Amino acid sequence: MKRRVPMKIFPLVTVVLAFLLVLDPPGAKAEPPIKVGIIDTYTGPATTFTYDVRDAFKLAVDESNGKGGILRRKVEFTTRDDKFKVDICLSMAKELVMNEKVDILMGTINSAASLAVSEYCKTEKIPFLVTFSKSDKITGEKGHRYVFSITENTVMIGKAAAVGLTKKPFLKYWIAGDDYEYGHALADGVWGNLKKLKPKVERIGQSWWKVGEPELTPYLTAISAAKPDAVIFATGGASMVNVMKAAKATGFAEKIPMFVHTATEHSTLAPLGTEAPEKVIGTSNYHFYFPDTPKNKAFAKAFREAYGREPKVGALYGYLAAQFIAKALEKAGQMDRERFIDALEKMKVDSPVGEVEMRGYDHQAMLPMFMGVTKKVPEYPFLIGSDIFTIPAKEAMPSVEEIKKARGQ
Amino acid sequence: MGFSVPYGAAELAGQLLVGLSRSMILFIVCAGLSFVLGVLRVPNIAHGSLYMIGAFATFSLSKFFAGSSAFWIALILAPLLVVFLSLIAERALFCHLYQREHLMLLLFTFALSLILGDLVKIVWGAEYRSVAAPAMLKGSISLLGSSFPRYNLFLIFAGLLVAVALWLFVNKTKFGKISRAAAVDRDMVGMLGINVSWVFAAAFVMGCYLAGLGGALVAPTVSITLGMDHTLIIEAFLIVTIGGLGNMWGALVGSLIFGVTHSLGVLVLPQFAIIFPYAAVVIVLLLRPKGLLKSVW
Amino acid sequence: MIHSKPLGWALAFFIILLILPSIVPRFFVYILALIFVTSLLAMSLNLLVGHGGMFQFHHAVFYGVGAYTLALMVTKTSLPIWVGFVAGPLMAAMAGLIIGWFCVRLTQLYFGMLQISLGSLVWAVVFRWYSFTGGDDGIHGIRMPPFLSSLTSSYYFILIILVISLILLYLILKSPFGNTLQAIRDNPDRCAAVGIHVRRHQLTAILIATFFAGMAGVLFVVLEHSVFPDLLFWVLSLEIFIMCLLGGWFTFGGPILGAAITVSLRTFVGKYTEYWTMILGIILILLIFFLPEGVMGYFQGIFKPRAKEGAQRRM
Repeated sequence: MKRRVPMKIFPLVTVVLAFLLVLDPPGAKAEPPIKVGIIDTYTGPATTFTYDVRDAFKLAVDESNGKGGILRRKVEFTTRDDKFKVDICLSMAKELVMNEKVDILMGTINSAASLAVSEYCKTEKIPFLVTFSKSDKITGEKGHRYVFSITENTVMIGKAAAVGLTKKPFLKYWIAGDDYEYGHALADGVWGNLKKLKPKVERIGQSWWKVGEPELTPYLTAISAAKPDAVIFATGGASMVNVMKAAKATGFAEKIPMFVHTATEHSTLAPLGTEAPEKVIGTSNYHFYFPDTPKNKAFAKAFREAYGREPKVGALYGYLAAQFIAKALEKAGQMDRERFIDALEKMKVDSPVGEVEMRGYDHQAMLPMFMGVTKKVPEYPFLIGSDIFTIPAKEAMPSVEEIKKARGQ
Repeated sequence: MGFSVPYGAAELAGQLLVGLSRSMILFIVCAGLSFVLGVLRVPNIAHGSLYMIGAFATFSLSKFFAGSSAFWIALILAPLLVVFLSLIAERALFCHLYQREHLMLLLFTFALSLILGDLVKIVWGAEYRSVAAPAMLKGSISLLGSSFPRYNLFLIFAGLLVAVALWLFVNKTKFGKISRAAAVDRDMVGMLGINVSWVFAAAFVMGCYLAGLGGALVAPTVSITLGMDHTLIIEAFLIVTIGGLGNMWGALVGSLIFGVTHSLGVLVLPQFAIIFPYAAVVIVLLLRPKGLLKSVW
Repeated sequence: MIHSKPLGWALAFFIILLILPSIVPRFFVYILALIFVTSLLAMSLNLLVGHGGMFQFHHAVFYGVGAYTLALMVTKTSLPIWVGFVAGPLMAAMAGLIIGWFCVRLTQLYFGMLQISLGSLVWAVVFRWYSFTGGDDGIHGIRMPPFLSSLTSSYYFILIILVISLILLYLILKSPFGNTLQAIRDNPDRCAAVGIHVRRHQLTAILIATFFAGMAGVLFVVLEHSVFPDLLFWVLSLEIFIMCLLGGWFTFGGPILGAAITVSLRTFVGKYTEYWTMILGIILILLIFFLPEGVMGYFQGIFKPRAKEGAQRRM
């Protein structure tokens, strides 16, 4: 039986394509709005973080538009879901830039995707604000003029955590975490800096589990057999909650001190309610209850009233993005990409955590880190971080020399 | 490299138990998958989604019934909710496909998994959820020298209970015998005057019940998130394959291999523990391509 | 009558595609190029699934191997890019040979499951070997030579390679080899009985299919300048499978349509809703019930009812 090259496909595909071309008529408006495109992950476990970024951004943008907008233009933003897949993220980013014709691009929580989009933005010469990806390569080795980061990265976390941990008496450490780039970079960041600051510390072992591993009990029981002084957990995503849960169930947290980046963060503690373990040392970029300043209180209140939940760390990033964009545009005087970038460098904005500066050399926002210990309190149906002390941004940032070296300059 | 822990008999035994509890959850879920595979000859890709719904439903139900017995009520009701959903899907759509090629059935289960995945997001949103273990199973006890969560001990018992129940069902009940017969020769069963479509429906529903039950049981030990379905389904497929397609006891063997090698691997070679399951599957399939136990067909 | 009419249509369509970049917006040039790459990938899979009847459940691995080979050659060596273009498909074919050799000893679901396991092993290695493959960060900003640096030039390059590959695939399918392959799909026992080396045939088919999958991987890099472990993930394998079924897997050009529909819908529906996955699920169900031959098969059924007979089979 012979099979023919199907001729019917051609008119069909043409019709489909033509239809799609028609589907996107350009919109004509009087005073064109400033368009921001957000490409992020709104499917799967990462969504709980990214919703906060988008919602806080929206809150800030609505407020600004209510006051007349920026440069007398309203800010409009549109979102795309990359489903945590790099190829979809690239496609959607290109769609936002070429089809939607956004002026500024923002996103995403997936580090690999951020790196890919960052390269694209370099060729397209469009500013890209990274909102949640933690890879230090974004503003480090692979940084360039068109990419900015308003979130922490693994080097910053590592330095800050190390500064905090040197104050503790622990010497024999076990390191455990998610077996992927983020987990390892985080662990290396913390351990490398800790060793530098306190050479006596010793690493007696390591455990790595697959990303999203639901059952961490076998790992904890194995680690407790080794009897370390403390354990550094390098976890991301769902593992952050899983490790806390397993620690509580096995009683691990009571016996062996744990350090987990994000242990004191609301994203980790909220789902666990009162079942989270106490005494876990954690670091976080944001708490809605600390610092107890009027600015932070007002921000948390506004967010809570708009969305019915307490703001988590993503909300800080979303808010910062809006502030940076607004002030940089005001300074630039017009929506010109190059002038926007020039204005954004060294820009200082006010935020719920105090003043934050965008470092000019590497385009990294200088965020403070907060270290605390989890504790049950009567006021809330979840645990919070207590005994929080601040590690100022300057102590957590990689030096400009280190960045220069990483970029080979 | 020297990263493994100096372990003794106590640690080994503790890890064994932990691996066992994990295996039990896998077994309950995979038994359902295997059963459906055996009778309908279709790997149900939506099995993972039903497991996820079981977990989320347990969360909602235990919050709703707040109280000391909330979890137990949820444990009973959540799988029934899953059964209800799967019955709708089966009677409305799935049953019309029984006469078609198997690939169409497979495709349907895939489409169902897509829809259910987004449905969970619409109903429960994106936040991580957590369910607390019931009061009497909280905390850990000291067993063989290491501390072992009480709830995981409960899981081992639950798994054994399910295994016994399944054995009784398959071998001692009329329906069990009919479904075994239908797995081997559906046409013959039809010729004996039994409505094969109903047999399929019942088998499908039972498989889904097990998926929901697995999700409900696992809820207190993990964080309940979107994407749970994906992580589970690939593991479940591999277990069912190395166990022998359609063979529920094969699912038990496969689950034990997965759970125990994993937890022992964590103790012995923590660096490579994640490779173990895949390596185990590859080895088994190379040595015994049809799986360890006899496939039902 | 048999060859001139469709050939005429094909030529006309090809000419339209050639002049499109100068009249449509840049974004559509990009989407079309992406459709071309995905079409080649889907076509390569369909050689095995639709025409060969094999359960190739993890085809994406070979796509990824081709893409990573080119990426690594460009970033780690200073060899001319042509070496990379040739090495990509060759490495993919080699991977296909190795994995295929293990898989052809099994049939149907076992074939598929073993491939998923082996393929996942490859994925895990790429995912963790940070120093070599970039781990889960991937490799980005891969430099293309000046003649390929713009979107339009990549478009033309991809189009030409696609057309050549399609012609080759068509000839392969029409050849005695192709006919034997389809015979094996329909009745492997009978073929073995008449002395055909079933396994060897299947392995050769795998070699060809994975070669073209690697080619598609290379084209992906030309378009996107990035590689990442997602390219080898089982979810992508399932997606390509769906494209073949969507378009019509017993037809020649069905997968192209499947790829075009999937990519377009994903991009344009994604603008309006987050729940694109659910919509895809609903579309699939509609397809299963009303268009089981796939979109292409449906149209062929209308215009050529006799061809449908060969499509009725139990797997």
